[in-house]
This record gives sequence, structure tokens and C-alpha cells, in this order.
Amino acid sequence: MIRFLIKGILRDRSRSLLPVIVVALGVFLTVFMSGFFKGVMTDMIDMNAKFSSGHVKVVTRAYAENADQAPIDLAILGVSDLKNQLQSAYPDMEWVERIRTGGLLDVPDENGETRGQGPAVGTAIDLLSPESGEVKRMGIQNSIVKGRLPEKPGEALISDDFAEKFSVAVGDEVTLFGSTMNGSMMFHTFVVSGTLRFGNSLIDRGAIFMDLQDAQIALDMEDAASEILGYYKHQPYDDIAAQSLTESFNARYSVESDEFSPLMTRLAEDAGMADYLAIAENMVGLMIFIFVIAMSIVLWNTGLLGALRRYSEFGVRLALGEEKKHIYRTTIYEAILIGIIGSFVGTLLGVALSYRLQTHGWDFSELTGNIGMMMPSVFRAQVTPSMFYIGFIPGVIATVLGNALAGFAIYKRKTARLFHELEV
Amino acid sequence: MLSLKLAIKNLLGAGLRTWLNVIALSFAFVLIIFYNGMIDGWNRQSKRDTIDWESGKGQFWHPEYDRYDPYTIEDSHAPLSREILEEIEKKNLAPVLVSQATAYPQGRSIGVTIFGIDPKQTILKLPTATLPASNGTDYAIIGKSMAESANLSVGDNLLIRWRDKNGTFDAREIQIASIFKCDVPIVDKGKIYIAIETLQEMLGMENEATLLVTGEGFEFRELNGWVFKDNDFLLADMEKIIQSKKVSGSILQALLLIIALIAIFDTQVLSIFRRQKEIGTYIALGLTRAQVVGIFTVEGAAHSLLAILLGSAYGIPLFLWLNRTGIAMGYAEDMEFDLPLAEVIYPYYSIRLIIITVIIVIITATIVSYMPARKISKMKPTEALKGKLQ
Amino acid sequence: MKRMKKIFITALMTTALVGLAAQDADQILETVDKNMSSKNRIFESDMVIQGRRNSRTITSVSYSVGDKQSFTEYISPAREQGTKMLKLEDKLWIYSPSTDRIIQISGHMLRQSVMGSDLSYEDMMDDRKMTEVYSATVAGHEEIDGRDTYVLDLTAKVDDVAYHSQKIWVDTERYVPLKQEMFAKSGQLLKRTTLSNVQKIQGRWFPMNMVYKDMLKDGKGTEFRVNSAKFDQDIPDYIFTKAALKQ
Repeated sequence: MIRFLIKGILRDRSRSLLPVIVVALGVFLTVFMSGFFKGVMTDMIDMNAKFSSGHVKVVTRAYAENADQAPIDLAILGVSDLKNQLQSAYPDMEWVERIRTGGLLDVPDENGETRGQGPAVGTAIDLLSPESGEVKRMGIQNSIVKGRLPEKPGEALISDDFAEKFSVAVGDEVTLFGSTMNGSMMFHTFVVSGTLRFGNSLIDRGAIFMDLQDAQIALDMEDAASEILGYYKHQPYDDIAAQSLTESFNARYSVESDEFSPLMTRLAEDAGMADYLAIAENMVGLMIFIFVIAMSIVLWNTGLLGALRRYSEFGVRLALGEEKKHIYRTTIYEAILIGIIGSFVGTLLGVALSYRLQTHGWDFSELTGNIGMMMPSVFRAQVTPSMFYIGFIPGVIATVLGNALAGFAIYKRKTARLFHELEV
Repeated sequence: MLSLKLAIKNLLGAGLRTWLNVIALSFAFVLIIFYNGMIDGWNRQSKRDTIDWESGKGQFWHPEYDRYDPYTIEDSHAPLSREILEEIEKKNLAPVLVSQATAYPQGRSIGVTIFGIDPKQTILKLPTATLPASNGTDYAIIGKSMAESANLSVGDNLLIRWRDKNGTFDAREIQIASIFKCDVPIVDKGKIYIAIETLQEMLGMENEATLLVTGEGFEFRELNGWVFKDNDFLLADMEKIIQSKKVSGSILQALLLIIALIAIFDTQVLSIFRRQKEIGTYIALGLTRAQVVGIFTVEGAAHSLLAILLGSAYGIPLFLWLNRTGIAMGYAEDMEFDLPLAEVIYPYYSIRLIIITVIIVIITATIVSYMPARKISKMKPTEALKGKLQ
Repeated sequence: MKRMKKIFITALMTTALVGLAAQDADQILETVDKNMSSKNRIFESDMVIQGRRNSRTITSVSYSVGDKQSFTEYISPAREQGTKMLKLEDKLWIYSPSTDRIIQISGHMLRQSVMGSDLSYEDMMDDRKMTEVYSATVAGHEEIDGRDTYVLDLTAKVDDVAYHSQKIWVDTERYVPLKQEMFAKSGQLLKRTTLSNVQKIQGRWFPMNMVYKDMLKDGKGTEFRVNSAKFDQDIPDYIFTKAALKQ
């Protein structure tokens, strides 16, 4: 009989295709939204991770002790080697180097002498290679006020307030003066490719964003960086995984007696972060619950509608002597089949899109435009185990329930009245 | 009124489906209020903490002073006039003298800012009363995070070195009298608080201050030689960040509402499809089509009323409970922006927030109810009356 | 009676000695100043800076006239080569050949450490004669590395001085300080300089090795070695102009 029903479903388009499409669509939305909510929620919490702490962070032990002062003299040496080791040992994470330093930002006059200067916070990230994803991670694009992102070595972004104060235009030169990793005097002239607003007064007064390689040259930090940050490539922060990662790394690489051996810390090292994550988890659960209810209503309605449309068909079938019970049973079987097919297709599509958004992210910076502060502008979905079954709740149960309720009307009424009502 | 009664009756008659719709919408409704309430609560708490611990009712700054530029500190000090001293006596102003210094915990050197503050002041929550009078030993109070980063506990001595008004180096040990816990990171990080008289003596700046914190009782007026900074200025950064959290949250809220509304929309489509006979009857009874559209729109929109009622039924007790216990956030800090973040956040639900949310829910529910109902006006009444599917 | 006389003489002598000591102390300081300062001087020197990870040696040539003008050119390592520093009164300009920029350092920036050393720009700039800043008393004698020294206590007589008091150990024969300690107003020891390898150059004794150490901080300090010193040379005036920086 199932084969017969499948045949029927396949041959009668109005009976099959439309309901399957609707169910698939509903399930797809449910599955995708559950992944999306989860990802977005975690992403919002991730702000700290993106700007400063990473999901995990590697610095030297000595650096960790004095982290407040961003002491580049205590930076990690042989950083590319360490990064390679990290990359091959933990390939599911993305590893990026960053340098933080401070200095004087000095604006020259036409003779190359100081026209104005002010203290500046310097941050070096991989701005130039697109595969690093750092520009998106930090949401730099949508905090640009004037000009554009650096496109070649020697270009940098400075804070807009500073540029205004000293009338520095895009294309002008500024010199960063400070000390190198070895304590020598450091001078490096950058062409201002654009100005930024961060939404934080302290940084807005004086800051420079430069490319990592430029900074390594300027600061005499060949093959060195202040920190290596690790981000889960295909998923948001996962505290349990991060904890075991941190432990295994430190056991292997970190030596207590060597103050320059690397030390890994994880995002949730702060006790509060864990609470944060728990709250997010609950919020996400609640949202998914609401979504499942709403989607169930929609699919129930669809099932009901589908069965109602077929009242005249039922009438004919009754007239031909088919038993009410049999009609009812086949309707339910059909609904189950449609529900399963639709849910299967929908789940597949939902998981696929979530996966795509998990790995690639959705850059909504064009949507928000310039928001006048630095904020991550990429949302990522997250593929969770629950995604694989959650769609079947509205997909199968609600569809069947809808059809069952519609079919139930057949039971309740006398066949003659049914004929009349169904206008056969 | 009749149509509303009718609508509610119809809805309740529809049973389980209506309730599921209402439940979904009520969740969206409650969640929107909860999220915004939490952010507002956080905002208010952060502001209050910052006012209590740092900014007071605004501050008078020495014209040279700039809190974000440590290089301005050295030149930012001026003597206190008789007028100011009287206000200090009345506890309407709290003078603060600021100086840069280097602290040497365990042979390391860290840059710190020393705040000289009146131990008798009551304007700021800083536990200045726990500062013992200098008795050959000078005492300081510091925050928890400063204590952690410098590895200090109560009773420890800390060697600090500074320069007096002439640039002459001076150094001495100060003893940590107490460690306070404060949710405002900038009050804590890298700051050392000592009695203002001690700092005045250390710097050779008798009777001078860098800034004056105003208190409740201060009658606002210009003070000669001082620039007033109100709390709009002092708290501007914080406001901006919290607003941004609201913006990013609104994306999720919008999605949530849309989902709940899709269900209502779909239900409307279905009920109009199923109830054509009823529609035909209405028209036959002499109702205009617009009136029938109205009946159905009101019926759909009534979902929102039920949702609000239902949401209130479980939301109000929930909110009241959360308001009493607060939401534990742990001792976390918004590291990047130094936002104050209390261990426990008490959500704050303003009347405005609730009214706006109610209006949004009703309006959007009405719109999604109206859209399918428009179809009615295109129906042929005779066909509808017969219940023919159109 | 004889005994009384003896006491009297001793007392008299003591008084005389004390009086002499005060006078002596300032005189000693003046002699030291004569040794250490000159109309002008040209030094070629190495500065050895101990970092937490490594130590670096920076070689430079500096020209100075009195305590108001000085010009320093860095010779090695390669990274510093061609970097020049000009100090006129209380202004400081640094020229970097790699960027062809002249950066003015002023105000509070002068208090930053120079190239990671235990010396700030200000420390390097403040070389007023000690007699102008301090009044001295002799506190005693001590032997340092086999040489007899006067121990002088110096107390600032002007306000604008970095160190309120100092203690210096002056070689009794050569009038060169062999050790110097700088104190905070509170009496806390802040810095210690050890001077050694005293050589006779153009008729004056001069310590060719100096080690500066910030006493509050862990670390090995900064060593300053003079490789060659010339005094009272003909230094053309244009050296002390901003134009000379770019040459």
C-alpha cells in the first residue's frame, strides 16, 4: 500500500509537490534558524574574543604577567614556527598573529619636522592577506569614516578624531615613533589610507591600525608577534573543547621555569564568561522553541488545508464504496510520507546552508553601513546535533496532526451530509 | 466593540490552534521585553555605578585636565578657593588630586595613577573611610583587579615612585589598607587611592586639586577656573556601547516576531479559506465588504491581545522574580571597552518599553491579519455563500 | 694642665677640621666638576643595554658644548645607524634616516627611557654642574676597588632637580667620582651609578666606564663605555642646528 501511496503522491502534483515544498520550506527554516540563532548569539558574546582574547590565546609567560602594558619586548619569537605547529596540531582552528604596542603618532610638516603629535595605541593585524579574515573579524570595514582599507604595505588606518585634530587627510603621511622589540628607537612612516571611529574615546584619541608585516619590520619583530589568537574555524566558542585544547597545549609547550615559553589561555578563563555562555544557551533554546511552535502551526494549517482541498475527492471515494476508515488511514499515511520527505529535504537544505554560513559567515556590514563603532560584522550559523532532528517536529508531527484533524471531520459526519457539503 | 467580542469568541472557538498561535506570539512578546529590559537594566546599573563610584553628579575639571591623556595630568592642578573649601566642608564637593606614578610590586615596575581623595568624602562610594590617618605610614586603598594584577593583599606594602611639582623624584612605601570591589573597571585598573592631604604633601601641592566631584547637595554654578563636565559627557562612551548591544539584539527580536507573525498570517489565510460561507452570510446580511474585512482583521489582531494577556500572566511574575533575584553575570568584565558589569543584573522594564512593545505587537499582528483578509473584498458573495472554493 | 692643653688642641683641631670639611666638600665637588665638565667634548661610546632577553650594544659619537647643546650620531648597530639626536636647551629633536623625519620630543615624553636603557632622555639631557645644583658635606672616607674616596652627601639647593639628594664617592687623588647614588626626597635609594676605568685624558682624569642601575627594578642596569674622549675641540657651530640632523 505504501508503494501505491508513494505513486499517488508522485503522480498527483497538487497532492504531493506543494505540500512537500511547504513542509520542506518550513523544516528548512526551522533547522536553519536554530543554527543561525545559536551562531548569532554566540557571536555577539564573541566580541571580546574577536578583539582581544581569541577563543584561545597564546603569549609568553612573561607577557601574560604584564599583559596590561602590551610589552612587545616579551613577545613570542619564532612565531611562524609556533603557528605552523599549532596549525598542524589543531587544524580545526584558525591561528592569527597580532601585535599590540604604543607610541607617539607624529604628523610632519612640509620639512618633515613635527607639526603635531599625540600618544597612540598601535594594533597590527594581518590586513593585507584576505584569507586571514582579520578585517572582517574586527569589523574594520564598517568603522571606516574616511578613505579605505590599506591595500598595500606601508598603508595604515588611524583614528578619525586624531586625524581631525591634526588635520591629517587621507593620503597624508604619519610617523609612528616608539621603541622596537629590542628597545631601539622605532620610526615608521605610514600613508594614511583611511580613518576609523571605534566608539571608544580612549582609542579614538589616538590609534593606528597597521599591517602585521609592516609592524614586524618597524618594530624589529622579525618572526615575532605579541600574541597568537586561535579561533574555531567552523564553530563558535566551545568551552569544553577549548579547555582540553589549552591543557594539552600547555602540557606540551609551556615550561614553568622558562618565562618565554608559550602559555595558552582560553576565552572563558574569566569565571563570568561561562555564565554569559549559559545565558546565551538558554536564550537560544527559548528562541528555537518559539520557532518550532510557530512552524508547527504553519504546517498544521497546511496539512489541514491540504486535506480540506481534497474533500470532493473523498466524496467520490466514499461514493465508490471506500470505507471511511480506509480513506482516513491513507490520508494519515500520506501525511506521514509527505512529512518525512519534506522534513528530510528541509533538514538537508537547512543543515547545508547552516554549514555554509558556519564556514563562510554572513557579512552584514553592507546592511548596517557605518555604525560609528567597531563591531564584528559577520554572523555565523552553527551546525548543532539537534538540527538533524528538530525539523521533524513541525515537519512530520504538525503535518500529520493537520491532516488528522481535517480527516477527522469525515468521521464525524454522516456520509450523505458529507456528499452535500462536498458538493459532489 | 461587537466585532472584537465576536473575534475573541471565534478565536476561542478555534481552540488549540489559537492557543498555539497565542503562545508563540506571547513568547516573542515576553522575550522582547525581557531582552530590552535586561539591557536597560544593565545600562541603568552601569550608569548608576559609574555615577556612584566615579563621576558623581558631574565634575569640575582643571582646564588642562584630560582623563584620557596622562600627559596632561602633571599640569592639571589648582588651589582650592574659599568658596570651594566651604562646599567641600558641606560635602557638596569632593576634591581629587591626580598624579602619575610608578609602582614596584616584586621588582616589576608598573605605571599607576594615584588619586588623592578626601577620606571624609561621602559623594563617591569609594570606601575612603577605611583610609586610616597617616601615622608615619601612608595608607592606600585599591580595587580588586588592581590588587590581582599587582599581586597585593591588605597589609602589604607597595613601593611607589613619583615626581613632585618640581619634577624631583620621591619614593615611599604605602600600605594597602583595604581592597574594594567595584563594577566600574576604570575606577579599579591601575589606580591607587590615598588621602588627598597625603598626596598634596607628597607633590608639594598643598590645598590643590585636579578635579572636583559634585554631590547631591551642590547647587550648580560656574566655578571660576574650573570647567564643568556633566554626566552626558562623562558617561557618553558607555551609552554608545550599550546602545549598540541593543541594535544587535534587535535583529534577533525582529526575527522572532516575524516567525510568530507568519503563524498568524497562515492561520488567517486558512480561516478565510475555510469560512467563505460565513463571509457570504455576512455580506448577505448587509455588511459591506470593508466591514467583513474588518471583522477578520480584528479577529487576527485579537491574537495579539490574547498573547499580551497570556504573556502578562506568566511574564509579570517571571519579571518580578527576576527583578528580585537579578541575573547572575559572574564577575566578568567587558575587557575591550571597560564597561561596568555588575555581578548581578537587575532588569529594568520601563513603561515606555512595555507600551512600545505592546503597540508593535498589536500593529504587526493587525497588518498580517489584514493582508489575507483583503482577499475577501475580491470574493463573489454568491459563490462565497455557497461555500464554493475560490 | 698638660692634659687640658691636649684636649684644647684636639678640640680646636676638630673644629678646624669640621670647618675645613664643609669648605672642602664644595671644593671637592668643584674639582670633580672641573674633571667631568669642559667647554666642549667629543665622545665615542658604547652603551650596553641589558634587556630581559638579550643585551645590545649601541655605539655613538656625541658632541657637546657645556650643558646646553649636544649632538649625537648613532653608528651601530645597523638599525640605529644614522639616527641623530640634537639637544638645545630643553628641546630635543631626533632624526631618523629611514623615514627622513625629524621628530621633536618634548614635555613628558622626555621622561621615557632611551632605547630601553635605565636612562631617560631627561637624564641624558640634565648635565648641569653638580656645584650649581647641590651643596655638599663630607661624610667620611671609604675605599672602593683599592682607592681611597671621600664620601660626599649632596643636598639639592635648587628646586627643579630630579634627585633631591645624592651620595658620591670621590677618588681622593684623582677627584673623579667612583660611585654615585641618587635618592628620593624620602631618602629612598633610586639609582646607582658605578664609575670605573679612570684614565688620564688631556691632563684630566676621566672615568671611561659607567654603569647605571635603577635600584627599584630588577635588572642588570645599563653600561656606558667611553671608547675615546676628546675635550676642548673645535666643534663647528652648524653641528648644533636642525639642518645638521639631515646630513
